[in-house]
Amino acid sequence: MSWAGRHIISIADFSTEDMLHILDLAASLERQPRPDLLAGRLMATLFFESSTRTRLSFEAAMSKLGGQVIGVTDALSSSARKGETIADTIRMVDQYADVIVLRHSHEGSARLASDVSRVPIINGGDGANQHPTQTFLDLYTIAKLFPDRLQGAGAPLRITVAGDLRYGRTVHSLLTALTHFPVCMQMVPVPGLEMPGHCLDEAQMAGCPVQLLPDLETAVAQSDVLYMTRLQRERFPDPLEFEHVKSAYRVDAAMLRSAAPQLRILHPLPRVNEIAVDVDTTPHAAYVPQAGNGVPVRQALLALVLGRAEVAVGSGA
Amino acid sequence: MSHRVRQVEAIEAGTVIDHIPSDRALEVAHLLTAPGDQFFLGAHLRSDNMGHKGVVKIANKELSPSTISRLALIAPGATMSIIRDYVVVSKDPVPMPDRFTAIARCPNSNCVTNHETVTTDFLVVRPSPLEVRCRFCERSFPASELVLT
Ligand SMILES: [Zn+2]
Repeated sequence: MSWAGRHIISIADFSTEDMLHILDLAASLERQPRPDLLAGRLMATLFFESSTRTRLSFEAAMSKLGGQVIGVTDALSSSARKGETIADTIRMVDQYADVIVLRHSHEGSARLASDVSRVPIINGGDGANQHPTQTFLDLYTIAKLFPDRLQGAGAPLRITVAGDLRYGRTVHSLLTALTHFPVCMQMVPVPGLEMPGHCLDEAQMAGCPVQLLPDLETAVAQSDVLYMTRLQRERFPDPLEFEHVKSAYRVDAAMLRSAAPQLRILHPLPRVNEIAVDVDTTPHAAYVPQAGNGVPVRQALLALVLGRAEVAVGSGA
Repeated sequence: MSHRVRQVEAIEAGTVIDHIPSDRALEVAHLLTAPGDQFFLGAHLRSDNMGHKGVVKIANKELSPSTISRLALIAPGATMSIIRDYVVVSKDPVPMPDRFTAIARCPNSNCVTNHETVTTDFLVVRPSPLEVRCRFCERSFPASELVLT
């Protein structure tokens, strides 16, 4: 499939080859910055729902490639309240923007936008459904930490996802992405927030069975990557239950004494209580560089959908 | 040899939908008929392989493709016979499309299709028991959770 003009909506739309291409291009742009690659191109960020981190990361990516950025957040929620539809907003903005990043609380909003848009839509998060650029940056982080093993050299990578595996869209999408690679998936769900059966079925069908581990101590000792997720208070009807789980579901430096030396801990951030601050200074902490990886990954996606990827890896004209 | 009493009146011409899941028979009758149509409805009839089943016979009517698609969604596994001069001229399973477009609402209240004017679109992910996935919110549902529009 040609990349120029392609929409970035859902992880399910991408093949293994696509993912490797994104990772390679991100690595290339990180090694060799291309400050003029997207000169003269305009990116519009339409955030119907605020997300400062995601928006800044997209804006940094576009700016570092020489492109221009326009965007609004609050005004859009008010125009939506006045009844302006996503389709109408997109049909207005695609008259002058070359690429549109959309974040909206309704699931499927990005797919709807891609049905009507003349320019590529990049999904910056559609409710509880998808946040593909987060998944690609997670994948890029793992690829950077374990470059050969992600692609099958040596023992399969043992990747453990922990926390809210029921509602956490980041872990569902990450699992979908990782089924394309020879990894061994493990999970430590918070009781009551286990991974939905359809996600497990999907992994199974893709030949990637998911193994249950009893607790975080075991995960720390038996993983190469531990992917922690945030617990959301609203998932717990009983506030006491939330407080109880919150204190039990936590990795700290003491626990990491029994960690495998190569263990790296990831987290989509912001964290609440899941990772103690004393972990930050251990060699296991990888969540801060992980967040930074969002920029090269989004640069790669912007270059691809704007048809400039060949130029990016070419002679650098 | 036991003599079996006909469970639902025969029709001279029209369409017979058989092997309807018993609890969907009324819904099927409602879907397939318009005011003034002559039809027969049987619910909770004996069935050798289903236990109970529903049957709907509509006189002098053959179904449009869009109605057949709706029928596949609410009564997966049903059979459809065309009757002419009391003779069954064809009897086939209700064809299962690979997607259901513009005929049902998404059960996910936070799906964009429930907030904007969008043509809904569900892809069949498993034919039996029928499970579909919304092309927009990407959630999967048993067919029984979808509400026809
Ligand atoms: Zn939906």
